Amino acid sequence: MPEILPDESTIALANLGFSCTQLFDEVPCWISIQDRDHNIIKASRKLIADFGDRQQTKCYALYKGQTKPCVECVVAHSFEDGKDHTSQQTLFDKRGMPHDVLVTTRPLRNDSGEIIAVMKALADISSEKELAGRLRNSLSLFHNLFDHAPCFITVQNQEMRILEANQRFQESFGEGAGRPCYELYKKRSEPCTVCVVAETFADGKEHTSEEMLVDNQGREVHVLVYTAPMRDVTGKITSVMEMATDVTEIRTLQNKLADLGQLVGGIAHNAKNILEGLRGGIYVANLGFRDNNQEDIRTGWDMVQRNVGRLSAVILDMLYCARERSPRRLPLSLPKLIKEVAALFISRAAEYRITLEVKADDPLEILGEPKDIHSMLSNLITNAIDACNEDQNEQKPHRVTVRAYPDQNDIVLAVEDNGAGMNSATRDALFKGMISTKGNSGTGLGLLMSQKVAVEHGGSITVASELGKGSTFTVRLPVRQPNASST
Amino acid sequence: MATSTKKILVVDDEDDIRVYLSRLFQENGFLVNCASNVEEALLAVEKERPDLITLDVSMPEASGGKFYRDVKSRPELSSIPIVFVTGVTGPGGSRDTEHFYGSRSHLPPPDGFIAKPIDREEIIALAKKLTGGAAAGASAN
Repeated sequence: MPEILPDESTIALANLGFSCTQLFDEVPCWISIQDRDHNIIKASRKLIADFGDRQQTKCYALYKGQTKPCVECVVAHSFEDGKDHTSQQTLFDKRGMPHDVLVTTRPLRNDSGEIIAVMKALADISSEKELAGRLRNSLSLFHNLFDHAPCFITVQNQEMRILEANQRFQESFGEGAGRPCYELYKKRSEPCTVCVVAETFADGKEHTSEEMLVDNQGREVHVLVYTAPMRDVTGKITSVMEMATDVTEIRTLQNKLADLGQLVGGIAHNAKNILEGLRGGIYVANLGFRDNNQEDIRTGWDMVQRNVGRLSAVILDMLYCARERSPRRLPLSLPKLIKEVAALFISRAAEYRITLEVKADDPLEILGEPKDIHSMLSNLITNAIDACNEDQNEQKPHRVTVRAYPDQNDIVLAVEDNGAGMNSATRDALFKGMISTKGNSGTGLGLLMSQKVAVEHGGSITVASELGKGSTFTVRLPVRQPNASST
Repeated sequence: MATSTKKILVVDDEDDIRVYLSRLFQENGFLVNCASNVEEALLAVEKERPDLITLDVSMPEASGGKFYRDVKSRPELSSIPIVFVTGVTGPGGSRDTEHFYGSRSHLPPPDGFIAKPIDREEIIALAKKLTGGAAAGASAN
């Protein structure tokens, strides 16, 4: 920095009574006084210390290393209009380090009011800008977390109205802002009787609960809910944040495990009964041998044979259910297969005075394993005949109807009976296994096997039933595409 | 013998278990009636007034439970001892069933529990105890 010359302006400044040199030097920002030609005629000590070794007197050269004035020059503006001006600029100090600065200019006048110089104060706002940048990044991070966190997040007021909701929530439950939580989460018009948000408002503590929600598609979503209070600077709770984590899959798995436990228990129970039958058979046969009583021997031996048969059937069914495999995909004429299987049951149905009829005249072809479809059909027809036999209403003309017909992209196979029907508890437990209403004639696994066949063939099985009126088991299988190949 | 022969009603939906228990009790000097469901069983109780009933209770809430409540809530029948024959499996085994019925304060607990697989000596000893003994001295084996 060249030594400042005692030129006209300096003398004028002195005349202005600008005697606060010390203050000028101590102010914690860079201050310069410039003339109309962009010459720095006075510079604060800090300015000289940080920018001053470039031997430049032109401000644009000193601050920016330019050879020409800036296009927009706030000093020039102050000279022109006599007003203060501000701008934000990036300057480079003597080590070449950039500084974001807030520039403020103020015209300095002589006694006659003429502008003789402009004072320029430069406040370093680099750290503020950095902070603002960090704040921006934090906000963006926060929004990303808020929107994409693997849970539904809402912020609610005391009336349980949603103030903010994350993207995940909105995708599953709809636009939340302003609407009550219970309306979106539970599709109800009244608040829940137990509400963890209300509890957090009341005691300021975190609360958890487990809830069943209903999403926009009407699906049930099992969630773990966690609430936390949000307070203002005075500590008052202004809102409550509610986070709900979807645990539907975990619960489904837990339920499947519980069902499996029940199935194993049921199989063990069944095995105990079979074992008891075997022991009974041996006992009765032994009595016959002891007393040379042919009737006892025959009865006991029949019991043994029957229970060995039952045990074999249970084991085969269990193996079938446990086996993971893909069925062969052979082209099958469903009406032909139905008629073949039904023919095997005609005499048995007739024996119980049950009419067994087949209504499958459309040429329907599916791809599948013939043995599997055969077993499934046999199982469903056996069940239907048994359901008619179990019906208390012996006056009713019982009928089992097997139908096959196309429906959209599926082929429907329905086995309908007007037998005993089922109550809702039996109906709900049907495909979990070990539901047998047949005393010692069933393995309890037949429907589980039928379901496995339907699913392995890309289809499904459902049941409609009413106690005393009958049941219909409906299997939907994908129709064979004209160009589908068999393997 | 004629005056003291005791009558047992075996209630079980499994044919083979009914045959087994019938022959076992007959061998041990009891008279036996059988019923394969609770309706039949109630009729038999009313008609025969057995000295003991063995009842298959597969699950605590199944129809066997209803039969038990029906008998035990009718003053003229409630003194007939009822033994549960249960194959309920699980961590507590037959004790769960025992606990279930034992905890119903408005009903007396069953007079005995026999778990499957049935111990022949145990069930015969229990039947003798509850009926005051059978006349015949046949072996349980």
